[in-house]
Order: sequence, then C-alpha cells, then structure tokens
Amino acid sequence: MTHTMEIEDVAAERKILFMQLYQQAFPLVAKYVHRMGGTFEEVKDVFQDALVIYYEKLAASGVNLQYSERSYLLGIAKHLWAKKNKLNNRYTSLPDSLQGIAMEESAGQSSTEKLLELLHTSGQKCMELLRAFYYDKLPMHKIASLFKFSSERSATVQKYKCLEKVRDIVKEKSLTYEDFLE
Amino acid sequence: MRTSLNDIQKIDDYLLQYAGKADRALFEARLILQPALQENLLWQQKTYEIIKQYSRRQLKAEIESVHQLLFTEPEHIPFRRKILGIFLKK
Repeated sequence: MTHTMEIEDVAAERKILFMQLYQQAFPLVAKYVHRMGGTFEEVKDVFQDALVIYYEKLAASGVNLQYSERSYLLGIAKHLWAKKNKLNNRYTSLPDSLQGIAMEESAGQSSTEKLLELLHTSGQKCMELLRAFYYDKLPMHKIASLFKFSSERSATVQKYKCLEKVRDIVKEKSLTYEDFLE
Repeated sequence: MRTSLNDIQKIDDYLLQYAGKADRALFEARLILQPALQENLLWQQKTYEIIKQYSRRQLKAEIESVHQLLFTEPEHIPFRRKILGIFLKK
C-alpha cells in the first residue's frame, strides 16, 4: 500500500509540472502552429512531443534556462514542426543542447511493441525501478526510499538483478521475433 | 553479488562511461577475449533502448492524462476558452 503511494508522489510531482507547462506554454505553441496552418491535433502532437524532450533534458542535466520554460518549449515545438513539415528554415537543425534526443521511433515496430507489452505485464516492477534509475534519473536516496529498500546498496543490487532479468527477456524474445534485429 | 551481476555492473559502468580509463582498457581487453561478454554487452545496450522506449510511453500516457484533465474538467474552462480563442482568430 505504502509503496504505491510513494511512487505516486513522484508521479504527482510530474503531473503538477506538466499541468504548469501546459498552462504556460500550450497557448504559445497553439498560436504558432495555428499561424502556420496547423490543426488542434497537430498542436497537441507537437506540444506533447516537446514536453517529452523537455522532460528528458531536465532529467539528464537540468535545463540551464536563459529564457523562460515556455520560450524553451516553444523553441522545441517550432523545431519539431519544421521537421514534421520538412520546412527549410533555421529551425530544422537541432540545437546542440538537444543533440541525441531524437523522437524517431526505430524500425521493426511490431516486435518492439510485443516486447514492450510483455514487459508491461510480466516485468512491471522491474521496469518501474529501471525507469526510475535510467530515465527519470532520480537520485539514489530517493529511489531507495520510494521502492522501500533498506539501503542504497540493496537498491543498486536490485537494479542489476532487474537489468539482468529484462536483458534475458529481450534476448529470448528477440530470437523469436525475426524482424527484431533489423 | 554473483559473477553474472558483477558483469552487468561492469557493462553498465562501461557503457554509461562511469568507468575510469584503466578500467575501460581492462574491460575492452576482456571483451576481446570473452565473446560471451561481448554478446551480453550488445543485449544490454538493446535493453537500455527498450527501457527508454518503455519509459517514454509511460511518460506520454501521463502527459495525455493531464491533457484530458485540461480539456474536460470544468475548472479548466478558462484555459479552454483561451485556446479556442486562438483557433477562432484568422
């Protein structure tokens, strides 16, 4: 019971963050995309992708903001819009700070799909832990307390156990899904 | 930790670049000498990619639920009006 509640704290924090970013920046992005002839759906897609990129940047190294968050998000959104529409303007080259954060989904979708679903059903606990370490990049002490480990060391050991488990599933299933390694 | 977990840690340190120069060199030598380790490294790399994609999906679902709140809950009517206003402008 308590475990679930603790995880929800971090999720609740994220929810607040996204709520704020939506309220601050969505109108700006909507104005821009609308001016460019885009629909509401397109605004939504571009904005949500921009939020993911922003979040990943935040998790990786924090964002050193010269300008406000909404300007930053607008910049990302403009870049994504330009890419999507193959516009030849100054927004098509990815700023240095965002190098390596690509939104392209890799080829071989269906086997990845199957794998992701499998991991969601039979490996959820491990995936949650691995997400906290590798994606959200939460500090060690926070992960240890969130997941109710007695120490940071035992959290780390469990991380490696989960990594091993997931790696074995990935390996096993990949050898079954022929298109996986393309 | 058992050996297999130790190797996982070593691969992790190597791939995520936490290992120092000496450790890296040593590890690279091991990779050449132990094809099984090399293979595990490749699978582990793939695993990190899967973790990222999985996590992104979860994140996207969280974002979508915030979107839904903003575009359906009565308390956010002012926000929706603002957005509608943008789209009604020529």
